[in-house]
Amino acid sequence: MGCEIKPRVRVGVINPMYDCQPAGAQYAGIGIKDCIPLVHGGQGCCMFVRLLFAQHFKENFDIASSSLHEDAAVFGGRKRVEQAVQVMVQRYPNIRVIPIITTCSTEVIGDDIEGTITDINKWLTKGFPERKIHLIPVHTPSFQGSQVTGYNEFMTSTFKTIATKKTEPTGKLNVFPGWVNPGDVMLLKTYCQQMGVDATVFMDTENFDSPVLPDKSVESHGQTTVEDIENSSGAIGSIALARYEGAAAAEYLSQEHNVPCVVTPTPIGIKNTDELLKNIAELTGKPIPESLVRERGIALDALMDLAHMFFADKKVAIYGHPDLVIGLAEFCLELEMKPVLLLFGDDNSKPKKDKRIKALKERTDVDIEVVTNADLWELEKRVRDKTPEVDLILGHSKGRYIAIDANIPMVRVGFPTFDRAGLYRKPTIGYRGAMELGETIANALFTHMEYTKNKEWLLNVW
Amino acid sequence: MPMVLLRCDKDIPEREKHIYLKAPDDDPKDFLPLANSPTIPGTLSERGCAFCGAKLVIGGVLKDTIQMIHGPIGCAYDTWHTKRYPSDNGNLQIKYVWSTDMKEPDIVFGGEKKLEKAMHEAFDEMPHLKRMILYTTCPTALIGDDVKAVTKRVMEARPDVDIFTVECPGFAGVSQSKGHHVLNIGWVNEKVGTIEPEITSEYTMNFIGDYNIQGDTFLLQQYWDALGIQVIAHFTGNANYDDLRGMHRAKLNVVNCARSAGYIANELKRKYGTPRLDIDSWGFNYTAEGIRKISTFFGIEEKGEALIASEYAKWKPKLDWYKARLKGAKMAIWTGGPRLWHWTKAVEDDLGVEVVAMSSKFGHEEDFEKVIARGREGTYYVNDPNELEFFEIINAIKPDVIFTGPRVGELVKKLHIPYVNGHGYHNGPYMGFEGFVNLARDMHNAVHNPLFNLARTDVRATPVVELKEAV
Amino acid sequence: MTAPALDEVYGYVQERCLWQFSSRAWDRTENIDGVLGTLADLLTNTPVNPSSPTERLFLADARVLADQLRERFPDLGSLDAAGVRALLESLRERVTQVAITQSRNHELHEKAY
Repeated sequence: MGCEIKPRVRVGVINPMYDCQPAGAQYAGIGIKDCIPLVHGGQGCCMFVRLLFAQHFKENFDIASSSLHEDAAVFGGRKRVEQAVQVMVQRYPNIRVIPIITTCSTEVIGDDIEGTITDINKWLTKGFPERKIHLIPVHTPSFQGSQVTGYNEFMTSTFKTIATKKTEPTGKLNVFPGWVNPGDVMLLKTYCQQMGVDATVFMDTENFDSPVLPDKSVESHGQTTVEDIENSSGAIGSIALARYEGAAAAEYLSQEHNVPCVVTPTPIGIKNTDELLKNIAELTGKPIPESLVRERGIALDALMDLAHMFFADKKVAIYGHPDLVIGLAEFCLELEMKPVLLLFGDDNSKPKKDKRIKALKERTDVDIEVVTNADLWELEKRVRDKTPEVDLILGHSKGRYIAIDANIPMVRVGFPTFDRAGLYRKPTIGYRGAMELGETIANALFTHMEYTKNKEWLLNVW
Repeated sequence: MPMVLLRCDKDIPEREKHIYLKAPDDDPKDFLPLANSPTIPGTLSERGCAFCGAKLVIGGVLKDTIQMIHGPIGCAYDTWHTKRYPSDNGNLQIKYVWSTDMKEPDIVFGGEKKLEKAMHEAFDEMPHLKRMILYTTCPTALIGDDVKAVTKRVMEARPDVDIFTVECPGFAGVSQSKGHHVLNIGWVNEKVGTIEPEITSEYTMNFIGDYNIQGDTFLLQQYWDALGIQVIAHFTGNANYDDLRGMHRAKLNVVNCARSAGYIANELKRKYGTPRLDIDSWGFNYTAEGIRKISTFFGIEEKGEALIASEYAKWKPKLDWYKARLKGAKMAIWTGGPRLWHWTKAVEDDLGVEVVAMSSKFGHEEDFEKVIARGREGTYYVNDPNELEFFEIINAIKPDVIFTGPRVGELVKKLHIPYVNGHGYHNGPYMGFEGFVNLARDMHNAVHNPLFNLARTDVRATPVVELKEAV
Repeated sequence: MTAPALDEVYGYVQERCLWQFSSRAWDRTENIDGVLGTLADLLTNTPVNPSSPTERLFLADARVLADQLRERFPDLGSLDAAGVRALLESLRERVTQVAITQSRNHELHEKAY
């Protein structure tokens, strides 16, 4: 059946789906240990992104600003960066990485970040000879791309800056999960462990879900070390789980250091997770263990109860990051649901040419409408006018009022999901992610049946 | 040495000018933290930008107005879904944000055409909306888009719409405070007096500096209704755009959150001779005093006293219940500016709570004059604080509860200190009599949250608890 | 009975009254002179008949303060009218000094906002 791909035609945006590039860069940046990203721009560019992360994770993350004021906006912000780095190095004795993330203002002014870094490195070497501080130039003007490309840009710049030398073989596997939650990182680590694969996750954000401890230590920061990044060049291979979020870093390692690289379909759903495990097995030579066959079986067992009873033919609208949306659409087909409306939120032209979208079309007899460069108003109007009619919305919390006002069940998935408790802890990927997401969808539909008194008696026996 | 250089600031000694520790017998003339001064880069300051000060805090509260942000997408995204200001007409102001989604070609060739198209589109998409505030941002200010010219063209093409422009790029000033001022002064100069409000009472006032956080405006409105006072403009809680154009007709300007609101009142005083009355609308004692002053101004003292008496009868016993349980609790207030001086004495007088540290992100020296006059000795007063200073001060004063934002709240949770949302409230409103009982309740429930005691316990160190047999 | 000391009255006024801390020096001066002038009339039982909105405002601020001072400093009653006016004049000087002439607030004389 058809798959119509069209962009938003309005020039303006009403209710954006994504934040801007520097936000994505900051998300990737907080994944590094002993690192405080420095956002070179106005103070809001960092303050609100910190709030956004706090809303999603219920944690505080350290991000600094060069606090660009009027004089610097006119005469250049180089001194602000130099001063910021000096203050950070002096006041944070353990700091090892300072990514310098540009914004629209400092890109318009045309601050020479690379030149500034060269100068700073000179006095850092002199003033702090016992410390090695890595300064990473990250160019993320807000008037290009979105948080998605900003994340990707950060990953690429980081590996290009730190993983410059081919190291001795480590026997490890590089895993680039993309923009995921701590729950996903935990799942990936468990899967690799079960396969006997020594994996390094870039970025290791497991501690974004961090405990309150008796000694009051604060552990809400990334776990990826400088050494992890340096040693990535000696890995036996890289596997990237998101085409548009970090795969470019894996490809850099492949081109520059001959680390074999596989971009696997984003492992949402059973089949995509199968692909992930097969690809890991192929890269590492390790077999898929019985334990994962059983976990797969548990997930199938759970989802089989739901698919043709409850999910079949339900029409779904999905919005969010392209890799997530595509993965979710594929998962919907596994569950016999109809992904009738997919929305991507920036002007990146690559996702619409994504082979996975073409494949979606071939796998289904449903008309799929894809809106690129979409805002949430595109979704709202379609939901309101029933063009197409949808039974379920899958997306992040910024679209919550569309579902609330139209009284349509919605399951929060992606980033941010600040209006539901604890979602960052739950995996979306892998067999367990498929099972938990499927069950969350089922429970959302069930609750809706009860509140709308729509055949809620079905649930007495099933 | 009442000005303090904290250990964590040894490498940025200029911070000494920003931190005051009030000592007995200090002469108030001798010590005042430096405020509204440039931020030291890289300190992890808490400050936002001028753009957000205008859009998120003030303009964005209006319940019938398109908020058009001329800039890249992030400025719109980031100032949306971060505030708790409802309205009585369906919360348009919470649900929507508009952006011109500036991209590279627009930056290179200028964004005016795109802006004009986006403005028309916004009105076309939601034809019932006829009012708009247009904000510039860092890049559109840097490239010099003439937004006033564009606005003029759109207003000529659409005679039934009215548009206000705010030119407050994020790099203007040193904090969000600059944005408050740009919007406020611009409004007084360009929009006040352009509409004649319908007058329904001989007692008319504007209430300036209340943004209807969790319904503050709704709550206070009950009082004005009881007194028969017409509020021409709530600036800007639950307000319509046109309400604010009729501010010149009020007989009195009542100022609550006086950081930027005071400037509006001063300008209205200069232009229209309207008197400015500053009050505190948080706290029992203060609210009663405010109502007394407003009633005296209008010559309706008896009504005012009757209202105070009935509110006291209704809420004072509840307040006292909490006071008995909060007395002696140590509180820190880490918010924007004015709430420091609004709250420090209110919680002390009404609840017996001691405020031991206060910090202001964007307050001016005027705010510090007020808070130091009202605050306790032995208390820290900090301008533009940063994270390491928070840690050091917490260590020094060991507060029982901190009123601050959610992000810092998450941080102090790890230090076993509960927070109450000092910006958007936990379960407000907090203004007025009923509101202060809400504040007391939230503080009580935070201070006595059993989970924090459990957090302070190390399961390994606990003596073995005797197992209780099931009976 | 002794008259309340200036320090104590000043301490109370400083802590209690927002009108002394308005945004600019001109506004502070108007408020300090206006409110304390009306306060002197109220505390000396001089009839106050405000004719302008501004005078009504000063009355509103002054009446609340007069009630508070009478309650807090009952010894005020021991002063005769001249004594009250002298005390309030000293108070006015002190408030003006702290809030205006010797204030460290950099913005008091700025024309723009």
